[in-house]
Amino acid sequence: MYRKSPDQPVSRRRAVPRFAVRTLAVLVLLGLWQAVAMALDNPSFIPAPKAVADRLLLLSTTHDGIRGYSGSLLIEHLGVSLRRILIGSVIGVVGGLVLGVVLGTVPWIRIVAEPVVTFVRALPPLAYFSLLIIWFGIDETPKLWLLAIAALPPVAVATAAAVHGAPTDLVEAAKALGASRRQVIQDVVLPNALPEIFTGVRLAVGIAYSSVVAAETVNGVPGIGGMVRDAQRYLQTDVVVVGLLAIGISGLLIDGILRVAEKRLIPWRGRS
Amino acid sequence: MSSPPDLDRATAVHAHEVEHVYGGGRDAVTALGPLSLEVPQGSFLVIVGASGCGKSTLLRLIAGFEQPTSGTVRTGGDQPVPGKGAGIVFQQPRLFPWKSVGGNIELALRYAGVPREERARQIPELLRRVGLHDVAHRRIWQISGGQQQRVAIARALAGDNPLLLLDEPFAALDALTRERLQEDLRRVSAETGRTSVFVTHSVEEAVFLGSRVVVLTRRPGRIALDLDIPLPRTGLEPDELRALPEYAALRATVSQAVRTAAALRGK
Ligand SMILES: Nc1ncnc2c1ncn2[C@@H]1O[C@H](COP(=O)(O)OP(=O)(O)O)[C@@H](O)[C@H]1O
Ligand SMILES: [Mg+2]
Repeated sequence: MYRKSPDQPVSRRRAVPRFAVRTLAVLVLLGLWQAVAMALDNPSFIPAPKAVADRLLLLSTTHDGIRGYSGSLLIEHLGVSLRRILIGSVIGVVGGLVLGVVLGTVPWIRIVAEPVVTFVRALPPLAYFSLLIIWFGIDETPKLWLLAIAALPPVAVATAAAVHGAPTDLVEAAKALGASRRQVIQDVVLPNALPEIFTGVRLAVGIAYSSVVAAETVNGVPGIGGMVRDAQRYLQTDVVVVGLLAIGISGLLIDGILRVAEKRLIPWRGRS
Repeated sequence: MSSPPDLDRATAVHAHEVEHVYGGGRDAVTALGPLSLEVPQGSFLVIVGASGCGKSTLLRLIAGFEQPTSGTVRTGGDQPVPGKGAGIVFQQPRLFPWKSVGGNIELALRYAGVPREERARQIPELLRRVGLHDVAHRRIWQISGGQQQRVAIARALAGDNPLLLLDEPFAALDALTRERLQEDLRRVSAETGRTSVFVTHSVEEAVFLGSRVVVLTRRPGRIALDLDIPLPRTGLEPDELRALPEYAALRATVSQAVRTAAALRGK
């Protein structure tokens, strides 16, 4: 018989106050921000919300012949960065998946490669960016490499752990049905690992997101990180704040999209 | 002391002087045997014994998941290999939650080499055989535990293996559901006529389902009683069957043997 998930009405009941509480928190934060900005009265240190809002408008339009920031609108800066994140993440996720499956299934490769993955994972992206610039110049290539390398380890580690820890009872059930080794991996081990892989993907996209600012420290305009960095040089604090808000809010949106995709793709998560 | 096993193909399962030891050295546990057993084609053998006496081990040897430490096991005259010749139902349904109910059956048929159009035709047929209707599209967590175990049985029937192995498949179900599944399994087994080896610790279940009941001693499990159950396999309602005077007598015999076997060491 079809049983309605018992937590459905509960979460719907809780959704309204949660939204209210969050809105209230944002308003309180805005109020505090306004108060501190007024008390300090130093826009280069803390620009007031109104100043940031005005700057947002200027960055999003062509004004007195000036188009956004450095010739690109805010949305274009953001778009360029998101494109870099997307390409870098896709390469990193695919690479991490393949590496993770190999690490999880071939013991001697895991022994050799696991310390390398852990080593790369521990490095801050800025640390290897210099090397990537020496190798690939200052255009798109080193930026995409940086993001891909940053995104790969969390996916590889999550995939390897999940593949390695495949439940023996389900693997045995598949073998009892006559599944070959390849079929066991394809039909049992990988689908079973999907929830953990997805957690790794969300982590990877988050890391790629926070690395894009590092990737855009060199020749990063257009790009939201490049914009923030240039604005910092010229003490355009309001531009810096607009950039930070754009990065943070789009990051929240992307994580939200990934969460929805997860619910769709992995409906069995937490069910068995 | 031991003659070579008679590899008659009419014998579905053939176990000869089988002994199984887990681990080695000081941690060695002799789980089973020595034990010899022949299961003719078409019979429904029920193995009864206390928990830990080696029932699952015996079934895993027949399935080919374990190799005997000594002695030989043959199914259909060959060395058993998992996925070849035997469908297995475990205590837990072990269904794949990323597949729908129908998807689980489909996978079994695909592994058995059944072509695509034929699979689509067989899925509802297999589900109907275990008493399920209109559930093929459901997700695993949307059906009850009893229905899940029915799906597991349908999955084990897919691919037309000559042998069906069941390891306490109803032990985790509530009493009412268990009785319904026992009745349906008895009917299915009579319909399909395939050889079954069913493991349980319930005397009631053993006498109701089996055409033959083997009682094992405590670990290491050896045969304490080997009894034919000459009850009709078809034509009687479950309640009529349970009401037969022979039924009560057989149940008493098996029950007595189980009680004695529990006091008996294998050696
Ligand atoms: N993989 C294993 N390793 C070591 N000992 C085991 C293993 N599997 C089962 N045993 C032991 O073998 C004995 C028989 O187990 P089992 O066949 O599962 O019994 P039953 O199914 O009758 O409860 C038990 O004492 C159990 O602890
Ligand atoms: Mg057992």
